[in-house]
Amino acid sequence: MSTPPKTRDRHHDAPAAKADPHAEERYEDELIMNLERDQFVAATSQPVARATLSARTTTALWALRVFVVLVSLMVIYTFIDQLQ
Amino acid sequence: MAATKASSSPALGLPPIRDGEPPLTHEDAARSVDRERVYSARKHSKRWKLLWLLVGPGILAMLGENDGPSMIAYASDGAQYGLGFFVPFIPLLFLMAYVCQEMCMRIGAVTHRGYGELVLQRLGKVWGWFGAGDLTLTNLVTLVAEFVSIRVGLAYFHLGAGVAVALGLALVVFTLSGGRYWRWERIVLGMALFNGLFLLAAILVKPDVGALARSLSFSPFPGGSFNTLLLLLASTIGATVTPWMIFFQQSASADKGMTPRDINHGRYDTAVGAVLAAIFGIGALVAGAALLTHNGTGIQGFAGAGFPEALKHVAGSAAGTVFALGLIEAGAVAILTISASTAYAAGECVGVSHSFNSSPRNAALFYAANIGVALIAAAVILIPGAPLLSIALNANVLATVLLPVSLVLMVMLANDKGLMGAWANKRSTNVIGIAVIAFVGLCGAAYGIDSFLQTVHLIPA
Repeated sequence: MSTPPKTRDRHHDAPAAKADPHAEERYEDELIMNLERDQFVAATSQPVARATLSARTTTALWALRVFVVLVSLMVIYTFIDQLQ
Repeated sequence: MAATKASSSPALGLPPIRDGEPPLTHEDAARSVDRERVYSARKHSKRWKLLWLLVGPGILAMLGENDGPSMIAYASDGAQYGLGFFVPFIPLLFLMAYVCQEMCMRIGAVTHRGYGELVLQRLGKVWGWFGAGDLTLTNLVTLVAEFVSIRVGLAYFHLGAGVAVALGLALVVFTLSGGRYWRWERIVLGMALFNGLFLLAAILVKPDVGALARSLSFSPFPGGSFNTLLLLLASTIGATVTPWMIFFQQSASADKGMTPRDINHGRYDTAVGAVLAAIFGIGALVAGAALLTHNGTGIQGFAGAGFPEALKHVAGSAAGTVFALGLIEAGAVAILTISASTAYAAGECVGVSHSFNSSPRNAALFYAANIGVALIAAAVILIPGAPLLSIALNANVLATVLLPVSLVLMVMLANDKGLMGAWANKRSTNVIGIAVIAFVGLCGAAYGIDSFLQTVHLIPA
C-alpha cells in the first residue's frame, strides 16, 4: 500500500516501461489469482496502523466537529419550526 | 501464479507472504474473475474494452447524485430564477465534485479499503463513528426524499405511494440477488444512463438557445433575500457533493478491485460521470425554466404530481411524461447507490465482510443494512401526513452542512503518505480541495446560522 509504484500501465507510462524492461514480468510475478497481495480479504481484514495526529490537528478536528453539530442542530430546529 | 515477493506495508503490518498463497474467500475468487478480464484487456492492448471494464463507480456516484431531490432543486431553480447564473454554476459544482471524487477513487484503488474503515482505523474510532453517524442521518433523510421522488413521478401516471415503495424495495432486493459486484454495478449503470431523460425533457420544452448561451456569463444573478440566496447555494451544492458519494466511490472502487494501475481509468470514469451529470442537471434546470413565465405555478404539492403535471400544461404531455419518468429513474438509482453506501459504511465500521462479492450468509450485516435502510425510508413515506415536501427540500441542505467534516478527513487520508505513498495528494490538489471545503463549509454554515437567527427572531426575516 505504501510501497511506490511497482510497475506502471504500459499504455500510460511508457517511459517507466522503457527504463525497466522487466517491470511487466515482475508485476505478473506479484499477482496471485489476478489479485495484488494487498487486495485479498486476508490482507484487507488486517487493520491499518493508527496515525499520530498532532495536538493542533486534533483540536482543529474537534472544533470543526462541534461547529458542524451546532449548525446541524440549527438547521434541524429551523426545519421543525417550519413544519409547525 | 507465483507467490508475491512484495514487502509488506508498514502501515498495514502485514506478514510477508512467501510460501503459499493467502487463504482465499468467495469474495477473492469473484474479484479475481473480474480482474482477470482487466488484466487480459490490458495485456492485449484492448483499450476500449479496458475502459468498459473499469468504468462504474465514478459514473454511478455522479449520476446517483443527480437524484430526485437534486433534479427537483435544479428544476425549482429554473422555474424561479431562469437559466442565468445556474447554467455555468452547475458545471462548476461538478468540477468541485470531480476533485473530491477523484481523491476517493484514488484512495480506494491504492488502499483497497473503504472510507469508513480507513477513518476508523487510521484516524480513530471517534472520527470513524462520527462519519458513519453523519452518513446514516443524511442517507436516511435523502432516501426518504428518493422515495418521494419516485412517488412524484408515479403520481403523474396516477399510481400511489404503495407502488413507489414496492418498486424501490424490489429494485434493491433484485440488484442484491446476484452476489456479485460486477452484476450489481452493470444493472445500476444501465439504469443510471436513463438520467438522460432530463436532457430529453429540456429538448422537448424547446428552450431559447440564445438565452442558454447568454446565461454562461453567470447573469442575471438570482434575486431575493440573502437567506433565499444562501438556501439556493446550499441546496444546489448539496445536489452535487454529498457524504454518501465519498463513502460510495471509495468503497466501490475497492470492491471492484481497482489497483493503482487503474487510477487513470478511474479518473476518466469520474470525469465522464461529472460531465454527464452536469449536462443532465442543466437539462432539469432548462425544463424547469419553461415554467418561469408561469411563475412556477403548479410545482408545489405532491398530491398534484408537481413538476411533471406543470410541464404537461406548459410544454405538452411528452415533456411531462419524460420528466416524470426521469424522476422515477433518479429516485430509483439513488436508492440503490445510497443504500449501498450505507451498507458499506456499516460493514466497514463494525469490521465485518462488506462486499457485493460476498454471499448474504458471509456478509449478513452488509445485506441487512442495504435492505434495512431502504425499508425504513420507505416506511416513512407511507406515514399519513408526513412532511414529505419539507424533507425532500431539506435533504440537500443537511447534506451540505455535514459535508465539511467528511471532506476534511478525506483530504487527510489522501495526504497520508504512509497509506498513499507515491499516490498521495499533490500540492495543487490540496489547494483546490481546501478551497472546495471552505466554500461548502461557508455556504452551509451561513444558511444554517442565518435561518436559525431568523427563526428565533434575532434578525428580521
